[in-house]
Amino acid sequence: MADSPKTPKAPSTLPFDFVPQEPETAVANNPHAKATTQVADVVDALKAHFDQSVRDLVVYAGEHTVLVDREAIVEVCRFLSEEKGFSYLADLGGIDRFTEEERYEVFYNLVNIEGGKRIRITIRVEEDTMTAPTVTGIFPAANWNERECYDMFGITFDGHPDMRRMYMPEDFEYHPLRKEFPLLGVPGSLPLPPQSPTGELTGDPFPAAHGHKPPKSFQEVKSEEDND
Amino acid sequence: MGSENALQEGFLTTRVDAVVNWARSNSLMPMPMGLACCAIEMMAFAAPKYDVARFGAEAMRFSPRQADLMIVAGWASYKMAHTIRRVWDQMADPKWCISMGACASSGGMHRCYGVVQGIDNFLPVDVYIPGCPPRPEAVIHALMDIQEKVRNEYSVAQDGISGKESPSIAPARPKIITPEGDTTVSPSGLSIR
Repeated sequence: MADSPKTPKAPSTLPFDFVPQEPETAVANNPHAKATTQVADVVDALKAHFDQSVRDLVVYAGEHTVLVDREAIVEVCRFLSEEKGFSYLADLGGIDRFTEEERYEVFYNLVNIEGGKRIRITIRVEEDTMTAPTVTGIFPAANWNERECYDMFGITFDGHPDMRRMYMPEDFEYHPLRKEFPLLGVPGSLPLPPQSPTGELTGDPFPAAHGHKPPKSFQEVKSEEDND
Repeated sequence: MGSENALQEGFLTTRVDAVVNWARSNSLMPMPMGLACCAIEMMAFAAPKYDVARFGAEAMRFSPRQADLMIVAGWASYKMAHTIRRVWDQMADPKWCISMGACASSGGMHRCYGVVQGIDNFLPVDVYIPGCPPRPEAVIHALMDIQEKVRNEYSVAQDGISGKESPSIAPARPKIITPEGDTTVSPSGLSIR
């Protein structure tokens, strides 16, 4: 036995390289980097085509994220879809950055299926406007994703055909994925069903924890309808 | 005596409660309220390997009017809770409820705004099953607990003192009188004397 149980092993670096690198060296050095994320030419084309609208480019772990102006997102998506073959919207969602300026972000993960490429576009949304243009005209799949984003963050999408909540009830007053929303929810905002067939909705979200158990059906108080 | 002839033939005396409970407990019709992965284990519970037909509860009824045992398998969101309660209210009395798995019993790992932290917040639960998900044996055990509960029930006529607290009475069991004497028979068929 080389090591007795009491001597701790010398820490070794795991053979997994996830350090952000330059895209060229990343593919050579990182066995996990995918060529699918190397879209420098697409970014160059975007910069050339939308000179004023492309605000920032972040390359992290070999993935390209392009920050564009909020107003230009429809044209950028149309350009990528029709000119560059990014015809598949893999995902769309919101991010709460919890900053003073430009608090919310909406990301668009686009895939070029034939070329085997991926790119991520983001836009920033101000807290006082809370609107973004819809891309359902280009990607019909964005319909439910934008509804989810509206449900979770309260960002409304101008021109969306059906701007309703996706998950939460229609009369829910909050947007749960905002940072200030408490994890266990706001008491009373989501009523539980009545404790008996003719009863009122239950406002307390934890009646069992507060000593109240729903009565068995044979213990339920008879209503006037039952007496008829 | 005339009754001796009858005893040689073999007959059974019982009470209505005992017979009704025996019939009810061995013909439970579950309403499978499958909401998440626990429903997969519930399917195994009904499938041939675990074979809940041995307990007479193989007839899963997707109509609440025909069911008398609701198995809530999986986490219940606040939105779904209203539907579950509505289905429960549509089930005819007498009815029982099994809360299957950690999520249905306590919210489980879903400690968040959208999931009800235990279905006993809006349903009267009879048996809770721990596990994530529970094995089919655990569901069978819960079913046997429900059967035991059914066998120990009394009708209103049995207590005889309406409006007062009834004294605890031994469970009603079928009794078989044979020429060798009378034997109390448990509903599972085993003699418990």
